[in-house]
Amino acid sequence: MKRAWIGCICLGSMLWGCQPEPDAMLLLDQFVVSTNYDNDVNFQSYSTYSIATDTIGFVSNQSNDTILIQKDTDYPRPVLQKVVANLNSMGYTRVGRNENPDMRINVYVVNNYDLYQQVVYPNYYYPSYYGYGYGYGGYYGGYVNTYESNTGSLVVEILDLKTITPDNKVKVIWGAYMGDLYSSIDVIKQSEEAIDQAFIQSPYLHN
Amino acid sequence: MKQYLIIFFLGVTGMASAQDSYFYFNWDVNFPLTNTEWIGSSSARGAKLGFRKFIGSESKFSIGLDVNWAYYEEYKPTETFQQPGGAITTDYFNDIFQAGAVASGQYYFPLGNGERFFPYAGIGLGASRNAYKVSYNIYSDEEESWGFLARPEAGILVRIGERRKLGLMAGVHYDFSTAKSESYGYDNFMNAGFQLGIMMMQW
Repeated sequence: MKRAWIGCICLGSMLWGCQPEPDAMLLLDQFVVSTNYDNDVNFQSYSTYSIATDTIGFVSNQSNDTILIQKDTDYPRPVLQKVVANLNSMGYTRVGRNENPDMRINVYVVNNYDLYQQVVYPNYYYPSYYGYGYGYGGYYGGYVNTYESNTGSLVVEILDLKTITPDNKVKVIWGAYMGDLYSSIDVIKQSEEAIDQAFIQSPYLHN
Repeated sequence: MKQYLIIFFLGVTGMASAQDSYFYFNWDVNFPLTNTEWIGSSSARGAKLGFRKFIGSESKFSIGLDVNWAYYEEYKPTETFQQPGGAITTDYFNDIFQAGAVASGQYYFPLGNGERFFPYAGIGLGASRNAYKVSYNIYSDEEESWGFLARPEAGILVRIGERRKLGLMAGVHYDFSTAKSESYGYDNFMNAGFQLGIMMMQW
């Protein structure tokens, strides 16, 4: 009996260590902020920009909505205001869309929802994965575990309206990618902080 | 990994009834010695267990099998990494999960009447699997590698009572593993550690 007890403690301790994960909550209170820019662009040659007031784009694989509007959610306005505040502080001037701006600011959320399943065969060490809607479960006594993940990024892009191609294409000269929105603790506050950080780590954006 | 541990555990508990042998389970505290800028913090999350059987009529030598795991983790505050054409800012965890298995041999030094205290020195040779991982927000990057593991070790077995089969065990060890990670700057992985725990003696 004593040996069984000790064995249980030992085994439990060993399995507890397979494999530990860091404290996720510590990592979720701020976004990862990634920025890219076009090395060939002189950002000082731009002076004006246009941006929407209460609407941001929405790209999702689970919804047909293409925009987020302030009247439906509190998210767009503070995000857009924070982008505007940063651009203004860097010396750029906001103008209307019809006032021939040098830059267009695109702000949108990319939502990626994944559902995937894993067939588990007891006593079989190599579980097989397949995408949702494919494959089959229950084969040879196996059972199906279903997982879902819902991730989202806030994207801010600067488009160059000074060099529109003959076929009306514009170039993205700066982009900021911030996430994850769906695992955040305070999505609006963290989005605002992330936007500030995106501009802080892009000092070349001064007019 | 869990399956291997279960198989091993069932095996060693079965063998533990053999004569002139002992099974042990130790708490294992480790200190990384390689690339301590990446992770320099000590790890109290580790365990080691094994089975050892005495050979020879004088019980001065034993051979056995040891398995262990250790988890190292270090939080890195928010940092901005400049890259060509951009930058990325995040806070993150670096962590290493190390699991090893070695075949080992020990020599026991005579002490007192030879009934209660059994100091020993030994070496284990085997393999380790190291998983080097960076976690940031919900994302992570990981590199996993296997390598040769060498572990010199010294310690002492203490029988609690002359008729009891339960004993205490303490030891220090040094591990050298060739499990490398090019992404995170490890040509090898070395650590020192001490272990403390219990054992079941069969003699």
